[in-house]
Amino acid sequence: MVKKSLFLSLLLSIALTLSAAENPVVEMQLLNTTSYTPATEQWSQTMAPAMSLSISSGRSGNVQGEVVLKTPNVNLLTTAPAPAIYDDILHKAYFKARFPSFRLTAGKTRLSWGDGMLFNAGDVLYGSNDTSVTLTQAELRSETGLLVSLNYPLGFFSFAEVTVLPSPDNQIEHMGGGARIYTTVQDTKVEAGYLTSYESERLHKPYISLQGNIGPDWYLSSSVAIPQRGDIGEETLDSLVITGGLYHIQYLKNLSLRLEFLTRPAGNWKAESQSDDDCPLLLYQELVYTPSSSLSWSLRTIISVMDLSLNATLGVNWAVLEGFSLLGFLSSPFGEENDLFSWKGKVPSPYGPTDARIALTLGASWIF
Amino acid sequence: MSKRIIIVLLGLTILFLPVSLFAITAQEIVREMDAQATFETSYATGSIKTVDRFGTKESTFKAWSRGTTDSLIEFTSIAERGQKILRTKGSLYLFYPDAEELIRMQGAALRQSVLGSDLSYEDMTEEKTTLDDYDVTLDGSETVRGRDCHILILTAKTRQVAYPVQKIWVDKETFLTWKGEYATNHGRLLKKMEVLDTLVIDGRTLPKETRIEDAMKSNSATWMMLDTLEVNIPLESNLFTLENLTW
Repeated sequence: MVKKSLFLSLLLSIALTLSAAENPVVEMQLLNTTSYTPATEQWSQTMAPAMSLSISSGRSGNVQGEVVLKTPNVNLLTTAPAPAIYDDILHKAYFKARFPSFRLTAGKTRLSWGDGMLFNAGDVLYGSNDTSVTLTQAELRSETGLLVSLNYPLGFFSFAEVTVLPSPDNQIEHMGGGARIYTTVQDTKVEAGYLTSYESERLHKPYISLQGNIGPDWYLSSSVAIPQRGDIGEETLDSLVITGGLYHIQYLKNLSLRLEFLTRPAGNWKAESQSDDDCPLLLYQELVYTPSSSLSWSLRTIISVMDLSLNATLGVNWAVLEGFSLLGFLSSPFGEENDLFSWKGKVPSPYGPTDARIALTLGASWIF
Repeated sequence: MSKRIIIVLLGLTILFLPVSLFAITAQEIVREMDAQATFETSYATGSIKTVDRFGTKESTFKAWSRGTTDSLIEFTSIAERGQKILRTKGSLYLFYPDAEELIRMQGAALRQSVLGSDLSYEDMTEEKTTLDDYDVTLDGSETVRGRDCHILILTAKTRQVAYPVQKIWVDKETFLTWKGEYATNHGRLLKKMEVLDTLVIDGRTLPKETRIEDAMKSNSATWMMLDTLEVNIPLESNLFTLENLTW
């Protein structure tokens, strides 16, 4: 009942906001998935419609804002409490105000700290050190959260940013906050920052992220999470994460490659089944072949090196008409039962571990 | 007799002196070509239309430039709304508003396709400092679209450019580049460009409609069209900064 009324109130708010919107953008997706789950030896079929509605103010002037509403993930609808569903629906709602010497952002939005498409140790705000992603999505990391941030320019190509995060449980001592500096030294981008947040305990997370070019572009990031109590030295060492990658590697003009890695020096370096929390070495590759302006093929693979398991998705995107694309994906994990990516066990997903399956997804997306 | 020979020789020297003294060099052509395409500031609106065997895709944009190296492009079409490209000396930054993500690109990355079109980031935000990056030689003349043109061969001095070899056809009168063929060091054709329509602003002839064809993509071509162009206008001082890019 609560979920129904929540959904109705949101639909009402969408309708009311639309009437006042200047230029809303709607993105619709309809995906049909046929899958086989080896663990249960069952075939299944689902059709999942998805929609996002973005209403933004004009991009001129000194104040601007945006509201983005999304249909919630079906996994959440059946398992999560109402606040979590509401949080998933209200993807973004923020404003930005430009003052003579600084900029203020407040609301639910995303700040992109560090570098890396899948693995980004510099992303201390939301965490990009796991494999709980959906490889069929264009954006692998899109988590948002409530925050207030001040951005202060330190020159044309440098800035400092300070952010304050609200308490996750309304207790004032559990508020979070941090800051970063973004600048360029010679030809290398240098970004360094620090965040303190409460995640069942108070953590302090310094990070550094570098980016440059050696033919292809490269990046290297590192962070640690230092607890306030307990065995600080050991837990800090355990939390050390280093990520890096090469991207914009191009072959024959229409074939491009992106390579990323994540390593935990204190992880479990044994050649045995691994878990997402302490897997010592992960690789990510993205190969994109674009034979024409409207057609692209992609192969995305996450590889857990120590247990030799992998999760792969082959995708095709054909932009048939203006804003309208046909999509196709073939996904499957490969690995033994308790490996990180297991053929017959569970695999990481944004909504918790799910049964491993081989899935063929066909559908369409339309943006207007 | 000898006096007569001397007089004839002097006469011939005087006759051919202007040709040898005033023949324009390849470097001067390129310098003038860059100068004609460079304004103190400019603001333009336009569109990029890509057609291939699967269909047509059109994106619209606003673009600002300052001098030879600074340019900013903001896409205004629905699918890409708010995406921006900032080019400054040696570096290029992309901003994706959906992810609030700032990406810095350098070197070979500039050759990547913009929105899947036949245009690369380099093509769209090209610096007008050709002689810094290329050695240039004259390779004769040819008529293109009824205009008498110099043919120039540009050979890259560094590896940090998108096209190691360029063959361009530059108007002898207006110094507009009517046509270009862009290739690798080994002569493999990468891209072709041709100006289809022009406009005259501030006494200078500039491309209004350009057709670009990526030789690596079969049956595909991109038209870049300018709808409006204003030059030498006042621009905000922070326009070409990260602060403005991420706004």
